[in-house]
Amino acid sequence: MEIIKTTHLTKVYSNNGLEVKAVNHIDLSIEEGEFTAIVGPSGSGKTTLLNMIGGLDDSTEGTVKIAGTNINSLSENELIDFRLKNIGFVFQAYNLIPVLTAKENVEFIMLLQGLSEKERKQRSEELLNHVGLADKLDSRPNQLSGGQQQRVAVARALASKPSFILADEPTANLDSHSTSTLLDMMAEMNEKEKVTFLFSTHDQRVIDKARRVITIEDGKIIKDERR
Amino acid sequence: MKMIFKMAWRNIWRSKRRSIITISSIFFAVFFAVFARSFQIGVYNKMIANMVGMYTGYLQIHQNGFWEEQSIDNSFIPDQSVLDLLHDNKDITDFNERLESFALTASDNLTKGAIIMGVNLEKEDGLMDLSPKLISGEFPAHTSSSLLISEGLASYYNMSVGDSLILLGQGYHGASANGIFPVSGILKFPMPNLNDRLVLMPILAAQELYAAPERLTSLVLQIDKPEKLNKLKKYISKKLDLEKYELLDWKSLLPELVQTIQADSAGGVIIIGVLYMIISFGILGTLLMMTAERMREFGILISIGMRKSKLILTLIMESLFMGILASIIGISVVSPVRYYFNRNPIRLEDQAAESIEAFGFEPVIPASLDMDIAMNHAGIVLLIVLICTIYPIVTILRLKPVKAMRT
Amino acid sequence: MKTTIKIAWRNIWRTPMRSFLVIGSIVMGIWAGIFVIAFSYGLNKQRTLSSIKNSISHIQIHHPEYDKDYDSKYFLENPDLIKTELETNANIKAFAFRSLLNGMISSPVKSNGVRIIGINKNQEKEVTGIHSGLVEGNYFESKRKNQILIGEALSKKLKVKLRSKIVLTFQDTDNNIVAGAFRVCGIFKTQYTKYDEGTVFIQNSDLQRLIKSKEFHQVALLCNSLDDVDSTYHNLKTNLNDYEVKDWKTISPELAYADEIMETWLFLIMIIIMLALIFGIINTMLMAVFERRRELGMLMAIGMNKSKVFFLILTETFFLSLIGAPMGMFLGALTIKLTSETGINLAIVGEGLQSVGLGNVIYPVIETKFYIFISVMVFIFTLIAAIYPSRKALKLKPTEAIRTI
Repeated sequence: MEIIKTTHLTKVYSNNGLEVKAVNHIDLSIEEGEFTAIVGPSGSGKTTLLNMIGGLDDSTEGTVKIAGTNINSLSENELIDFRLKNIGFVFQAYNLIPVLTAKENVEFIMLLQGLSEKERKQRSEELLNHVGLADKLDSRPNQLSGGQQQRVAVARALASKPSFILADEPTANLDSHSTSTLLDMMAEMNEKEKVTFLFSTHDQRVIDKARRVITIEDGKIIKDERR
Repeated sequence: MKMIFKMAWRNIWRSKRRSIITISSIFFAVFFAVFARSFQIGVYNKMIANMVGMYTGYLQIHQNGFWEEQSIDNSFIPDQSVLDLLHDNKDITDFNERLESFALTASDNLTKGAIIMGVNLEKEDGLMDLSPKLISGEFPAHTSSSLLISEGLASYYNMSVGDSLILLGQGYHGASANGIFPVSGILKFPMPNLNDRLVLMPILAAQELYAAPERLTSLVLQIDKPEKLNKLKKYISKKLDLEKYELLDWKSLLPELVQTIQADSAGGVIIIGVLYMIISFGILGTLLMMTAERMREFGILISIGMRKSKLILTLIMESLFMGILASIIGISVVSPVRYYFNRNPIRLEDQAAESIEAFGFEPVIPASLDMDIAMNHAGIVLLIVLICTIYPIVTILRLKPVKAMRT
Repeated sequence: MKTTIKIAWRNIWRTPMRSFLVIGSIVMGIWAGIFVIAFSYGLNKQRTLSSIKNSISHIQIHHPEYDKDYDSKYFLENPDLIKTELETNANIKAFAFRSLLNGMISSPVKSNGVRIIGINKNQEKEVTGIHSGLVEGNYFESKRKNQILIGEALSKKLKVKLRSKIVLTFQDTDNNIVAGAFRVCGIFKTQYTKYDEGTVFIQNSDLQRLIKSKEFHQVALLCNSLDDVDSTYHNLKTNLNDYEVKDWKTISPELAYADEIMETWLFLIMIIIMLALIFGIINTMLMAVFERRRELGMLMAIGMNKSKVFFLILTETFFLSLIGAPMGMFLGALTIKLTSETGINLAIVGEGLQSVGLGNVIYPVIETKFYIFISVMVFIFTLIAAIYPSRKALKLKPTEAIRTI
């Protein structure tokens, strides 16, 4: 099933009269179960592309369809709601709500979705267990290591049972040990549960683990490699 | 140095949002301080105008030594040069000649001391607003020797228009001053100290009574712009022969008014002080947050080699620029507001208003347009901004670059 | 909803400085409101008490015609009747009988018109403060006859000093001119130069000897407290209805309405203070919202909708107000309690104001209802102030969250 489809997706920034095409007519299709990395140098447009796919930014031209829905036609509140239900985010940093514990962070998403207390409790414990942090349920983010925080972020991203997970440089702040732990975990989820992952990354280790690597330069896809 | 100037100025516009917030907190400080103080000063000025308009005027010229010893022997004949000086000055709308003295009034077998004002009645009408106070009779002609007496005197003697009053006093150089004069009108003054014992007569008749032809005890200057008083006073002092004459303003003429205002002012200052506490806190808060936000930036600058002293200087410059800018905007915005409240003062209500109207005064709170207020308070606010800048300065002094860049 | 509240509550402890600034503003706002109101009422009260003590007393009794004229022929008939009435009234603390005349005072150098007040020195001491306002000399201590108290300004005008001799000239009841030589035993100074120039005090015994009759023109009296005045006033009006009885409010209506006049002022000042407070809070919060853009952007990214974000910030402000309000009230109450005992000496801001009696010291006083009123007002205004920054927060882009360093 096609999870993500972009058609002629374009983003143009106007800076004091100078026009910059950050993303230039990209057509892209991501299927369910993919473990795909989008790579490219800084300024290549990959963050902009990911922002648009995640519904966090609007496009100048072209469309984005997520699980069949054209997100460009949604209003702002509808978009927020859509993200809630369909997309799981893992950012490079500042993922978690600092004042909530790991468990509360994961439950938060489900709370927004309106799940019952019992369901939330059960699922958050399940997910945190799954990412190997069963003993850290009541820890606050500032009591967890970088790697552990990112794992909580993944658990949270999964909590809403999204169509796919969007990870923007998730390993950039991590040491090698944490990186491999995180990647192994995500790879396993992808294999066993068919969770779709879309990365934006510089990290070679992530690129190595990816089964499809899309290279972007100057706002255009210049290479699309499947392994 | 020029580099620091440039950097400071550009820094301000680099983060418009932050600068606008900081500038606006300083702006509000200037606005509110000036606004509040304008009302306080406005009330005092109104009080002064009220009291001054009742009798003394803003500025008087006498023979030198008259105020110390107010006897008819200290009267004078003004030189033409003085009269010309007063005529030529546009800020003086008119000047009133007065011959004032004391006399014992009598009728039947009652006596009472009274103040006799020999005046030009038309001019005095302009200063003391006599016409509405006339409750019976009419103004005597310039050449007549009829009197206007105050209501208190009239009721004491049970007199009405047409009756006569005896005046007994001491004239110029010991001559005796006696006469009997018809009453042509009765004036009611709201202030009892005037209402009880005042007699107005045409100056020619007074000069005749006191055997002091052409002599005056005072020249009362009418001014339409009280804010120009000090300038005017300086100007006239220069041109006046101060051996011969003395020039006194309302402060010397009405010392108890000065004392009343002083007594009141102290309380007002404390209240403005409280206002300043609040606005200082607001400015401090903005600077505190700005410092926190820019920690990384400071850390980076120090790391790459900028001396702390230069950075501090830049920050001080930024504060000054923002402060000055905010003050200019503040003064520009507050001025039309003050103008509005000057023309449309706040009115008191009900009984509070009545109790003031009983004195013959308007029960209003006007705003002063004095530019000094704006300058002074803008200056104080600027000082506060500089003092608050001490916080970021101290932060920079204690800053460890690596730690700062980690925030 | 509950979680938003939980997040809001925990958030305020996470950033002490930010929270401190907002709480501090609230505390200051409430404190300022309470202080300014208490100070203003205290100022009025001091003025009223000062005027009562130094000048008009609580109640005055005259001959009914006296007011129109101040002529000495309108003396009080049957003073003993009045004396008895006053002595039997438990609310009355002290009274003083006075003779009042207009006359002239002359020194070798100069003459001046003056108001002559003949007093009973013991009675007067209990009712007014002239005995403590002497800058030189004594208050009729000597047993000698014809001692006089004059004002400092008058002594300067007449060029006399302590122990100098002056002549008082006035009319007796038959309108004959009477003169007497007096010696200056004391020199007083009040707040008002004009008063000092135009008023002299002599003893009733001396005056009555000179005019050959025992006449009083005025009785001034003090009640036990300001609250007793109304009932005492009505009592005396009924029982002494042949005389003119006036209370301080009738004598000086501007004092009676001073509170009302001041309330207009107070209203104006309070508005200005509140506005200054509101803008201060708006600014602080705008800074805070910007500082939190990543965190807020992240919340909107993962699915927290706009109204929830708005509610979050408003709830944080609500908690901060909840913490700040009692602190502000407490600080205000503490300040009032301390200053109402020691008083605030205006001399620190004014220039050595001269005064007799209560003078420069203000004792702030405030009704309890104001504490609640001010606190509620500041509370509400703070929430209103938070609206603008909260709405600004909603304009943040979720992409702020993704922005990499």
